[in-house]
Amino acid sequence: MTSPWLRCLVGVGSDDGVIPSDSASLSFDIPLLWMVGFGDGDGAEVVLLDLVVAMVVISVGGCSGATAAATILCHSCHVTRVVEICRVPSSGPATPRSDVDFRMCFQLVDGGNGGGGVWGDGDFVGFNGGEAHLHEVNLSNLWLLDAIICIDSHRMLNFGLGKSYETKQYKKGLKAADTILKKFPDHGETLSMKGLTLNCMDRKSEAYELVRLGLKNDLKSHVCWHVYGLLYRSDREYREAIKCYRNALRIDPDNIEILRDLSLLQAQMRDLAGFVETRQQLLTLKPNHRMNWIGFAVSHHLNSNGMKAIDILEAYEGTLEDDYPPFNERCEHGEMLLYKIALLEECGFLDRALEELHKRESKIIDILSYKEQEVSLLVKLGHAEEGEKLYKVLLSMNPDNYRYYEGLQRCMGLHSENHQYSSDQIDQLEALYESLSKQYNRSSAVKRIPLDFLSGEKFQAAAENYIRPLLTKGIPSLFSDLSPLYDHPGKADILGKLILELENSIKKTGGYPGRVDKEPPSTLMWILFYLAQHYDRRGQYDIALAKIDEAIEHTPTVIDLYSVKSRILKHAGDLSAAAALADEARCMDLADRYINSDCVKRMLQADQVTLAEKTAVLFTKDGEQHNNLHDMQCMWYELASGESYFRQGELGRALKKFLAVEKHYADITEDQFDFHSYCLRKMTLRTYVEMLKFQDRLHSYSYFQKAATGAIKCYLKLYDSPSKSNAEEDDEMSKLPPSQKKKLRQKQRKAEARAKKEAEVKEETNVTAVSKSGKRPVKPVDPDPHGEKLLMVEDPLMEATKYLKLLQKHSSESIETHVLSFEVNMRKQKTLLALQAVKHLLRLDAEHPDSHRCLIKFFSKVGSMPAPVTDAEKLIWGVLEAERPTISQLHGKSLIEANTVFLEKHRDSLMHRAAVAEMLYVLEPNKKGEAINLIEGSTNDLVSINGALEAVRKWRLKDCVAVHRLLETIINDHNAASRWKVQCAEYFPYSTYFEGSRCSAVTNSTSHEIPKLPENGGGSDSSIADHNSSSLSSNGKVEKLEAFKDIFIQ
Amino acid sequence: MVCIRKATVDDLLAMQECNLFCLPENYQMKYYFYHILSWPQLLYVAEDYNGKIVGYVLAKMEEESSECHGHITSLAVLRTHRKLGLATKLMIAAQNAMEQVYEAEYVSLHVRKSNRAAFNLYTETLGYKIHDVEAKYYADGEDAYDMRKQLKGKKRHHHHHHHGGGCCSGDSKTEEGTGVPEAKAE
Repeated sequence: MTSPWLRCLVGVGSDDGVIPSDSASLSFDIPLLWMVGFGDGDGAEVVLLDLVVAMVVISVGGCSGATAAATILCHSCHVTRVVEICRVPSSGPATPRSDVDFRMCFQLVDGGNGGGGVWGDGDFVGFNGGEAHLHEVNLSNLWLLDAIICIDSHRMLNFGLGKSYETKQYKKGLKAADTILKKFPDHGETLSMKGLTLNCMDRKSEAYELVRLGLKNDLKSHVCWHVYGLLYRSDREYREAIKCYRNALRIDPDNIEILRDLSLLQAQMRDLAGFVETRQQLLTLKPNHRMNWIGFAVSHHLNSNGMKAIDILEAYEGTLEDDYPPFNERCEHGEMLLYKIALLEECGFLDRALEELHKRESKIIDILSYKEQEVSLLVKLGHAEEGEKLYKVLLSMNPDNYRYYEGLQRCMGLHSENHQYSSDQIDQLEALYESLSKQYNRSSAVKRIPLDFLSGEKFQAAAENYIRPLLTKGIPSLFSDLSPLYDHPGKADILGKLILELENSIKKTGGYPGRVDKEPPSTLMWILFYLAQHYDRRGQYDIALAKIDEAIEHTPTVIDLYSVKSRILKHAGDLSAAAALADEARCMDLADRYINSDCVKRMLQADQVTLAEKTAVLFTKDGEQHNNLHDMQCMWYELASGESYFRQGELGRALKKFLAVEKHYADITEDQFDFHSYCLRKMTLRTYVEMLKFQDRLHSYSYFQKAATGAIKCYLKLYDSPSKSNAEEDDEMSKLPPSQKKKLRQKQRKAEARAKKEAEVKEETNVTAVSKSGKRPVKPVDPDPHGEKLLMVEDPLMEATKYLKLLQKHSSESIETHVLSFEVNMRKQKTLLALQAVKHLLRLDAEHPDSHRCLIKFFSKVGSMPAPVTDAEKLIWGVLEAERPTISQLHGKSLIEANTVFLEKHRDSLMHRAAVAEMLYVLEPNKKGEAINLIEGSTNDLVSINGALEAVRKWRLKDCVAVHRLLETIINDHNAASRWKVQCAEYFPYSTYFEGSRCSAVTNSTSHEIPKLPENGGGSDSSIADHNSSSLSSNGKVEKLEAFKDIFIQ
Repeated sequence: MVCIRKATVDDLLAMQECNLFCLPENYQMKYYFYHILSWPQLLYVAEDYNGKIVGYVLAKMEEESSECHGHITSLAVLRTHRKLGLATKLMIAAQNAMEQVYEAEYVSLHVRKSNRAAFNLYTETLGYKIHDVEAKYYADGEDAYDMRKQLKGKKRHHHHHHHGGGCCSGDSKTEEGTGVPEAKAE
C-alpha cells in the first residue's frame, strides 16, 4: 500500500453521460496526463478519444470500461504510455485484455483502501458535460483529494479552464486536505497540496510554510518537490523553481509533467542548452506527439543550431502521411512549413529554401506570407528580374506598402539608403514612378516617394503637384508627411516658397496660381496651418504664431489649429500657455480621447500634475475603478508624470511613476511565459521566435531607458540629500540620552513590524475579496500611493545600481547610460567602474561635453586621493597609472591644459564652453570669474540650417536653461545667473522659464523655478472648470489677463 | 503618405500606445501578444513617413463557434492622420486576410452607438450591417451595435478530413493545454 490517495483524476462514469465529442473545446487548461478515471460504457470511449493524453488511468467501478478505454488509449497515436492504473479495491481487480500488451504501458498500483462506495452519481469527481465543472464530491472519499486540488502547471488554478472557477473550489480542496490531515497529520504530499491551494487563494506566507513542511516530511516525494517548484514559479522565482524541478526529476526522471514544466522555465530563462536537453527527453519519452518534435526543433533553433532544427522538422515530416494535413490543421501545417523555410533561409540554404517553398505551395495557405518569403529568397539569390515581377504582384495586392516599393527599387538597382542617386538613376526612378502612378492612381505612395529623390525644379514641380490637392482636401497630416524633407538640403526653402506663393495667389485671386477655378475657403486655412508648422520647425515662432492666429481667425472652429498652436507655444517655451491652448482644444470635443491625451501631455510638461490627472481620468474609469492608467500600462503618461514630479523635486512621487514603468516592462517579460507552450500548439513558430527576440531587447526600448534614467537620477538625489523626514527624526533622536534612544528605536521597530503584518493581512483579505460583479477581484489598496516609502530606501545607490545594470546591458550605446554609471560609481567610490564609464564615453563620443566633464572630474578626483595603503588601493592605483597614458586627451597634458585644448576645439559651441567653464571651476575654484566669462562670452550667432536661406539663432532653449542651472547651482553665482536670464529672455521671449516678455506667466518672484500653477504654488484647489475660465480667452489667444496673472503671483 | 503593412511583434508597443492615446477601450500588452501569436496575419499597422505608428487594426478569429468568423478587436487612427482613408485600408487588409487564410464566413465588430463617424465608416464604406444591439456593452454603460459583414467563406473542399467545428484550430486538444488567458475582453 502506498499512498492513501491518488495523484489526480477525473472520473467519467457512464451514468454521467457523454462528454461532447468535440471536448477539445473544453480547452483543458492543464496537462491531463495525471487523470482520467471512468466507469464503463461508450461514453468513456468517446471521451478518451479526445482525452488522449491521459497518463494515469483509474478504474472506478466496472473495470471493463477501464480496460476498453485503455485499449483505445494505447491504440491512439497520441499516447505512448499509460503509466499507472489505479483501482479501487471494492470494484474488483482490473482485468487486462489480451489484445493489449499491458506490460508495456501499465504499472498497476493498488489504490489502497480509501474508496468504497464511490460509484454512482454525484459520488465522485466527474465532468459535467462540456462545462468542465467539478461535481460535488463526497469528501469521505479521501483518495479523490487530488482531483480537487489538482495542479495547474500554469496558473495553478483548478482544472476546467479555471476562469470562472475560483474560491469555492479551493475551499473544498482545503476541507478535503484537512480531512486527510486529521488522519495523517504528517502526510507530506497532502501538506504540500494544501499549501499550493492556499497559494491560489493568495495566502502566501502560509503556503510557503506548509509546502516546506510537506517537503520536510517527505523529501523523497517528487510531488512535494514539484509543488515547491510551482510555488516559486508563481512568484516568478524561476531559478529556485528550476532547482526544485530538478530535485523532483531526480526522484522521478521520466515524469513528463515535470519535464514539461522545467522546459517552460528554461525557455523563459533562456537556459537554451538545458532547454534542448529537456526537450530531447520529452521527445524520447513521447515521440508520437507532434508538439514534442516541434518543441525539440525550436529549442535547437533558439540554441543557435538552425541546421539541427531543420533536420528535426524534416524527420517529423517524414512521419506524416501524404495527405496530411486534415482540413482543420492546414493553417498550422502551413505555418510549420513556412517556419522551416525561414530556417533554411536563416541558415543560408537559399536554393533549398526556394525549392522547398515551391514544392509546398499547395500546402501553404497564407498566400501573402508565401509571396513575401518567395520574394525575399529571390532577391537574396540575385534573381532580380523575378523579384521585380513578384514585387509588382505584391504591389497589386497592397499598393500602400512602402516596403514593396523599396524592394522593387532594389531589384532594379535603384535603391540608396541616403537618397543619393546619379542623374541617370533619377531619370529611371522618375520613369518607374510615372508608370506606377498610372497603375495605382489611388495610392499616395507613388506620388510621395519621388519627392525623396527629386531635387531642384523637378522637386518643386512634383511637390506642388502633390501638395495642391491635399491642401484643397484639407489633410491635417500634410506637414508631418513632408517634414522628413526638411532634412534634405534646400528642400525646406522650396516648400516654404511654394506654399507662400499659394497663399498669395489665393488671397489675391481666390485660386491657385495659373488656375481659373476658385478654391474653397478652407484651402487658405490649411495653407496657413501648414505655414505655421513650417515656421515652427525652423524656430521662427513669431511668424508661426502669426500664421496660426490668422488661421484661427479665419475658422475658429477647427480643433487641429489649437493643437498646433499649443505645440508652437511649447517649442517657444511657454509651457503654461501651451497647456491652456491644449485644454481649449480638448473642450471643443470632449468625446475625443486623442485631444484629451494631447492636453494631458501639455499639462504635464507645464508641471500641472494634479490637473493633468483630473483630465486624464475622464477617460479611464473602468467600472468601479477610478483610474486604470496603470493597469492598462499607460507608460507615456506615467513617464511624463514622473518627469514632472522630478522637476518639482518630489522624488517619492517621481520614483513611484518611474518604477511603475519599470514594472510594466517586467510584466511584459513575464507575459511570454504562457506562450512557450501555446505557440508550439498553435504552430505560430515564426512569430513566436520573433517575440522571443523582441523580449530579449525589450529593455532597450526608449520608455524603459527613460524610466530607468529617471529612477537613477532620483536615487542619486536621494543619496546627495537624504529625505527631510529622516533628517528631522535623527535630529529629534540626537537630543535624547542613549538609553532612551535605544528604547525608542526598539519601540519603533516593533511598531513597524506590527504595521507590516497588518498590511500583509489586509492585502491578503483584499486580494481574496471579490467585487460585486464577481469577476474581477478588488484591487488591493496601494499602501504607498505617493512613494513616501520609496524615499526611505536604505541604500539609494544600491537601488540605482539595479537599474544601471539594465541600462548598461541594453542601452550601452547611449551617452547617458555611462554618465549615470560615472555618477553612481563615483559616489560608491568604485574607482575602476567609474573609469570604465569614462572610457565608454570617450569611445562613444569623446567630443561630447559630458564625456569631457566626466573625464576631467574623474582624474581631478583621483588626483586628490591619498596615496594608496592597502593592497586593493595599490592595485587600483596601478591600473590608473597604466590607463592614464592610453587616454589621448590627457597625453602629456595636465587636466587644465586638456580643458583648454577642449575649449579651443569647440569655441563656438555654447554647451562645450559651459562644460569647459564648469571644469575650470572644478579644477581651479578661484577662477570662478573666468569660468563665468567663458559662458558669457558665448555668442548666439545666426546660422543657416541645411542651407536654408533664412538663418536662425543657434542657441537652443533647452541648452540655455541648462546653462542657467549651472550658473545658479554649481558655479553658484546669482548675479551671473540673473544676467544670463535677462539675456535669454531676449532670445526666448515666450519662455516661461526665463520670464520672457511675451510669455503668459510673468511672476514677480526671483525664483528660477518654472512658475507654478495653483496646485503647487497657491492654496486654491482649482477644478478643471475653474482653470478654463481663468486662463483662457476666446480664439485661442492667451493674453495676459489679470485673472490669469493672479494664478501665478501668489 | 502612410504605409499600410502587416504588424510585427516590434510594432506592438507602439500599437498599445496608439490605442491608449486615442481610444477609451484599452488592453494590456499580453492581449496584443495573444493576438499576434494566434493570428499573425490579422494585425496591420499604418506607419507614417517618419516611422511612427499612426493607426492599427487588431483582429482575431472566433474559433469556438460553429461558424468560422473573424472579429475586429480594435481599430484606431490618430486624429492627426484622419482623412487619409487609413481606417478603411486597415480594415480591408484584415478582412482580406480573414477571408484568404481562415476562410471566414463573416466578420463582426462592436461599435459605440454614439460613435457616428465609426458607424458611418462601417456601414457606408465597408458594408457592415447591424446584427444586434448589446445593451451596456461598454464600461461606461453605453450600448454597442454588434455589426457584421458577410465574407466569402469556405471554398469548396474535396476533403474527407473535415471534422466540423472550429476553423483552423484542429489541435487544441493537446496536452500542453494552456488556453492563454485574454488579458481583457473587449
